[in-house]
Amino acid sequence: MYKNLLLFGFMLLAGLSLVTAVDPPEPKPDAVPPSLETPFDQVMSVVMHQRCMNCHPQDDYPRQGADSHLHRFGIERGADGHGLPALQCATCHQTENNDFSGVPGAPHWHLAPLSMGWQGMSRTEVATAMLDRSKNGNRSHEQILEHLTKDKLVLWVFEPGVNHEGVAREKPPISQEAWVEAVTQWIENGAVIPEE
Amino acid sequence: MSNEQKPKSKSRRKFLVRSAIGLGVIIGGGALGLSPMRRFLAIAVDEADLAYSNDAGVNLWFEVLADNRILFHCPKIEMGQGAFTGLAQLAAEELKVPISMIEVVNSSTAKGPVDGFSTGGSNSISGLWVVLRELAATMREMLKNGAADIMGVNATSLQAKDGVISGNGKTMSYGEVVQQVTEWKEPEETPTLTQRQDWQLIGKPIPRVDLKPKVMGDPIFGMDATMPGMLYGSVARPTQVDVSFQGVENAAEVEKMPGVVKVVVTEDFAGVVAESKTAADLAKEALKINWKVNKVWQQAEIEEMIKVGSGKAFVIQKEGRAKRLLEEEGAEIMEAEYFSPMAAHAQIEPNGALAYVEADKATIMMATQVVGITRKEVADSLGFKEDQVELIPMYAGGGFGRRLHTPNAMQAAALSKAVGKPVHCFFSRKEEFQNDTFRPPTHHVLRGRLSADGKIEAFEHQVSSGDVAFGSALLPRALTAVAGADFGAWRGGLNQYKAIPNYRTVSWRVKLPFATSWWRSLGLLANTFAIESFLDEMAHKAGEDPVQFRLDHIADDERSRRLRAVIEATAEKGEWGKPMPEGRAQGFAASTDANTPAAHVVEVSIEKGEIKVHKVTCAIDPGIAINPDGIRAQSEGAIIMGLGASLFEKMEIKDGVIGPTIYGAYKMARMKHAPKEIDIIILENGSKPSGVGEPPLGPIGAAIGNAVFKLTGQRLRSMPMELS
Amino acid sequence: MNISFVLNGTEQRVDVDGNTPLLWVIRDMLNMKGTKFGCGKAACGACTLHVDGQAVRSCSYAVKFAQSKSVTTIEGLSQGDQLHPVQQAWMEEIVPQCGYCQPGFMMATAALLERIPHPTDEDIDKNIVNICRCATYYRMRKAIHRAAEIKQAQSNA
Repeated sequence: MYKNLLLFGFMLLAGLSLVTAVDPPEPKPDAVPPSLETPFDQVMSVVMHQRCMNCHPQDDYPRQGADSHLHRFGIERGADGHGLPALQCATCHQTENNDFSGVPGAPHWHLAPLSMGWQGMSRTEVATAMLDRSKNGNRSHEQILEHLTKDKLVLWVFEPGVNHEGVAREKPPISQEAWVEAVTQWIENGAVIPEE
Repeated sequence: MSNEQKPKSKSRRKFLVRSAIGLGVIIGGGALGLSPMRRFLAIAVDEADLAYSNDAGVNLWFEVLADNRILFHCPKIEMGQGAFTGLAQLAAEELKVPISMIEVVNSSTAKGPVDGFSTGGSNSISGLWVVLRELAATMREMLKNGAADIMGVNATSLQAKDGVISGNGKTMSYGEVVQQVTEWKEPEETPTLTQRQDWQLIGKPIPRVDLKPKVMGDPIFGMDATMPGMLYGSVARPTQVDVSFQGVENAAEVEKMPGVVKVVVTEDFAGVVAESKTAADLAKEALKINWKVNKVWQQAEIEEMIKVGSGKAFVIQKEGRAKRLLEEEGAEIMEAEYFSPMAAHAQIEPNGALAYVEADKATIMMATQVVGITRKEVADSLGFKEDQVELIPMYAGGGFGRRLHTPNAMQAAALSKAVGKPVHCFFSRKEEFQNDTFRPPTHHVLRGRLSADGKIEAFEHQVSSGDVAFGSALLPRALTAVAGADFGAWRGGLNQYKAIPNYRTVSWRVKLPFATSWWRSLGLLANTFAIESFLDEMAHKAGEDPVQFRLDHIADDERSRRLRAVIEATAEKGEWGKPMPEGRAQGFAASTDANTPAAHVVEVSIEKGEIKVHKVTCAIDPGIAINPDGIRAQSEGAIIMGLGASLFEKMEIKDGVIGPTIYGAYKMARMKHAPKEIDIIILENGSKPSGVGEPPLGPIGAAIGNAVFKLTGQRLRSMPMELS
Repeated sequence: MNISFVLNGTEQRVDVDGNTPLLWVIRDMLNMKGTKFGCGKAACGACTLHVDGQAVRSCSYAVKFAQSKSVTTIEGLSQGDQLHPVQQAWMEEIVPQCGYCQPGFMMATAALLERIPHPTDEDIDKNIVNICRCATYYRMRKAIHRAAEIKQAQSNA
């Protein structure tokens, strides 16, 4: 543990000395990397990451950035999660990332429904909600597996592109391959949510 | 008798007349780019007391065309402030033509008058108020003289109206006159100007002359300029302040990138020229540039530097013995500190230029607020004489002072020279935010002392600011040394309540490690915020009504009377003191800028923890209102822009890097922040027009802060204003 | 790559890197300058145009996505001499100051009125989030309401 902290501190120092040409990245809310021991740990390291969580609010407002600030310009969910009538997500977000503008994109870019609003919840609460058919769009475990491993909007978190300054967005702590593997294992082994 | 009614002797203004009708006096008709068949009358002025002249031998202000249109080569640029419209009204009034006959065009330095100073300081109308009307009146008289010769009658028997000269049963349009006249005759004396009671256009709220092109999306802006064979440039600009350029590591490599024509490295900067905008930008991003970091600056250091007491002090206003009274042992002294942050111009059209440098001449198309200075800088950088550079001004997609500093024109010229083709080169948005000439941060210390009867006995304002006017190309260095205090920094910072017996104003000058300069109204917003908020504090302490408290301290000279009238009108129309619904309060503030007093009554509430401005009532006295609708538009815009600056805007430096670098993160007023009601009252208590573009921006921050105090008891002393 | 789309009613074909922002294709290759560059980050809205009737910020829209679609810019908003209701209202209320951001606002407003024919102040606040540095918002709000009236009158006629 102390070793990890020390290493992290060193990385931080090293990182700072390199950062001269761009805005420094926002400090991460949680400086201690979460444990990645079990498939459940690995799954939740992605789900709980701001790349996922920014579009799973419990209110009507998407978040942005490493610090999960409210999406600029007062952007709202709208009736169907695709934005307001004349201010749709697709006004700015297309089906793939745009490297010129730094605007992220993926197919059917939209806000998760309120039933999948997870911001502020613990990882066990999020996992419970994910499996709850009354909240997850009535998905079975198989359908959840399919969604989490195939949906291009979900998988966008592993290719999140660059921000408005051309700086790469932070990715979740594990790779897409490791994610698919972990989700598969977790669900195929009964999608057990450990007590915490 | 006011100034403009005095007849001018002929010797004071020397009019040079050119005609294209085959007369020997035409100089450089071809060089003017005019078709030899095109008949026109050009009128030029050679005027020692005017800073308008080009080096082409001809200063074309007006051209009367055969189809009866009149081209007005306007030396002021149009950046939204409405100068084209107001000036067209002045010209049309004396030319005796409807406004529709006038076509305002940007004055190219090769043809028309060149503004040797700037479009700025809210002085376009006031600066040309007399001269332009005299020019137009002279031209009208010459047309009449020409018509008289053709008709064979005496000119005094003729009338000019609606672009037609008539008398003795005969009529000729101006266009017909210019086609037939053989010899132009100037009037013996500068004609008497039209009396106020006879004005047909001055004072009328006519729609702005550039309305239609702007609604249709016509290509009128600097960004829209094109030339055949044009390439695209991009200049690498530092992301960090206080660095120096040390060269490029990978120029040859970048030059091989797709679409790249050339990587240009000079002593001062590196840039690329490419076949498309995107190729240029990608190549620029790929450049590995060595920046020598002189010092890595932090926000706290800047805030420390800017404190009153840190820089160099100049006493700029002193009446009575304020200092002694405010430092008297045992006296009850009020004291407060106010702050304003660094701010960005954030005009939507980025800075840039289209340059074409050839062997012995250069052409620049761009939006600049300093046409003459930009041209000189480009000429000097190329080793050209000024008349070898033609600068064609374009409409500006916002100015706000950002286009008073235009080294980018020299950079575009350098890129063009390197490839021998026209190069179009603009800032990115990030570069705009990081390489702005920022509004400097300010710190204010105010002290006051009340007399036993609740009046102000002594008042002191000390303002510390980064440079505004100093360091600008507009101001010769020699003048900086003589002037001492930076007049841009203390603009709006002087005490205007001259009935206060003892007052003192001190300006502290601080040179910051990055460019700070003119931002719409300069120091006015911050200084008014500090002074007018502190006056509110004093009124509260004295138990006086804030408006009455101000009126109690206004003197009786002309300037003060205009201020008094504005305060009274604002309070009356804004229903100052009326019962407000629960959760709402009024606030008041006033200022005088560019010889124009303005005051605001605002109505605010707190919604979801945020300050919400519902209504603004503003009286403004521009002396004489040339175009009331334009004045309303400028006031509405200034109020909302100032509201955003007071509540949201802030640039900061961290590890030497200034940010934010994108709209949104740099929060500005948007539709939802605009008050639902804005009521503008125009007073005309002057003998000549004064500025409008900046003055109504002054009081908004203080008025909001004063309303918030009334509503919550919280005194907000730092912009952007946030509730705690 | 070759991309073809309809621009203001006219078929256009361009040979260009498909990732090039539509903004630059329209401005620099097709030489229509009404659509403005403000930030290149889809933040200011100056580059707003319509793709198949939807408001899109063209600085952040790869031209390849426009393939076979219909694009409308400010130059195509009017029908010949007949101004679009939004343009008429903008004229009546004398909205523009510097004018640079106005095409983006007018395009955003035209899209708004297609979806919400009679927007409330709140609809306007939430849907029109472009940036105008001259802060012409006060008149824009009036013009948006006026445009709704003109549009209604036209459809009744």
